[in-house]
Amino acid sequence: MKKGIHRIKSKAGRKKEQGEGVAEKLARLFEIPAEICGNRPKVTAIGRGEVLIENFKGIMDFQDGMIRINTNNGVIKVSGSDLSIREITNEEIIIGGKISNIDYDA
Amino acid sequence: MFLVYLWNYIRGYVIITVTGRNIERFINICSRRNILLWEIIRINQDSAQMKASIRGFKHMRPAARKSRCKVRISKRCGLPFKFSRFRRRKGFKLGVIIFSVLILLSMSIIWDIEITGSDPELNSKIMTVLHENSIGRGSLKMNIDAKKIASEISLGVDEIAWVGVEVKGVKLYITFKDRVSTPTVIDSDQLYNIVANRDGLITRLEVYAGNALVKEGDTVKKGQVLVSGTMQSQNPDNGTREVHALGKIIARTWYQCSLPVSSVYTQRFKTGNTHKVSYLRFLDCKIKLPSNPLTFSLYDTEVEDKIITGPFGIKLPIGLTVEISSEIMEKQVDLTDEEAVDVAVEMAREDLRKIIPRESTIIDEVVKEIEGENGTIYVQVVIECEEDIAKLEPVNDE
Repeated sequence: MKKGIHRIKSKAGRKKEQGEGVAEKLARLFEIPAEICGNRPKVTAIGRGEVLIENFKGIMDFQDGMIRINTNNGVIKVSGSDLSIREITNEEIIIGGKISNIDYDA
Repeated sequence: MFLVYLWNYIRGYVIITVTGRNIERFINICSRRNILLWEIIRINQDSAQMKASIRGFKHMRPAARKSRCKVRISKRCGLPFKFSRFRRRKGFKLGVIIFSVLILLSMSIIWDIEITGSDPELNSKIMTVLHENSIGRGSLKMNIDAKKIASEISLGVDEIAWVGVEVKGVKLYITFKDRVSTPTVIDSDQLYNIVANRDGLITRLEVYAGNALVKEGDTVKKGQVLVSGTMQSQNPDNGTREVHALGKIIARTWYQCSLPVSSVYTQRFKTGNTHKVSYLRFLDCKIKLPSNPLTFSLYDTEVEDKIITGPFGIKLPIGLTVEISSEIMEKQVDLTDEEAVDVAVEMAREDLRKIIPRESTIIDEVVKEIEGENGTIYVQVVIECEEDIAKLEPVNDE
């Protein structure tokens, strides 16, 4: 019994890393917007000058031409020129500047 | 965006330069500790510039120590820093307080009273009622109970049928409608006669109702019945009819006054010494400015309001009221005979003017000099007038 419980838990943990947890499945089942439950990042790009990333963990690298942000789904890299962090709070970060790429796992 | 900027400006913020190897770590710690950072710009490999609120900056020290970064303020922005300059200036603070108190005070008093109504003559009556209740320009708005004033006015002024009182801003608006006075009812069944009000010579008769007992050219005495209400029928068998006599009796009347002529006349003249008292006037309040006490036994006072006119012809509520008292001396002057007569005639005329009713028209004036006993000379002034001498008098049927 103990083993079984342990297995389920570990499986769930692995699934979460892959990108789909129980909460997300439930959310999809009941057609609740995905960003409400779970802590997957939400990336919103407005035009070319602004990227808003919600549910992030922290910034890993901050250069003039590249910003790397750590999230639950891996690292998101925003690159471009004259980048700046417009605003940073606990939940969201707004990146401004001329953006050329948004890369995942970079 | 502008609103955010304005908000930040009001709250105050600092532009800081962070130097160190681990700026990312510094930013992460700050964001985790709910320290808001914005407009972070990388300057070079080991420094970045960012903005932070004042409160945020105060909590930044642990984050800076953990990430081994140095934080330096490059600029202070916002209102709190602008005001901190005034923090030590006591006079400035006092001025701000006085200014705001004055503004508040000036907003809480009545600056003007506007009375609108159909009859401007009632305005002064309303003003006296307001004055009795000590309401005027300068009284506090919160002491004014519009309903109470309205009832007070409608009680105090009989001619008013309805009155509305309203305080709008710093103005007191009073609107009223006057009452149409009830016409005097002439009871045509009642028996009334017209009698003479005073002695006179009848020049014109206008009889609307009644039996005229006099005709033009008759001299009548005071109290004499002029028009009788008892109408005699032409046929004596039919008896009489009682009516309410009505009519106008225009007659010439005479008023006379005789005064002894005195050759000694007390003349009053100004000595040229004046005494000035100034009042500072604000709305309806007067503040007396210090001055010497008044020493004259006889004086004539003139009051002059000095009004300050502001731009666009606005009359400012502040001004000076100057009371100038000029000293008067009495002096006995000997007059020549002619002058003495003139003075006596003038005085007699003055006396007569008080007696003669206002409705009458003056037609003629005769001045006579009469020598009385003991050699005193009298001046007699006779004024001839034309007036309506009709007076209604009820007849009591016994």
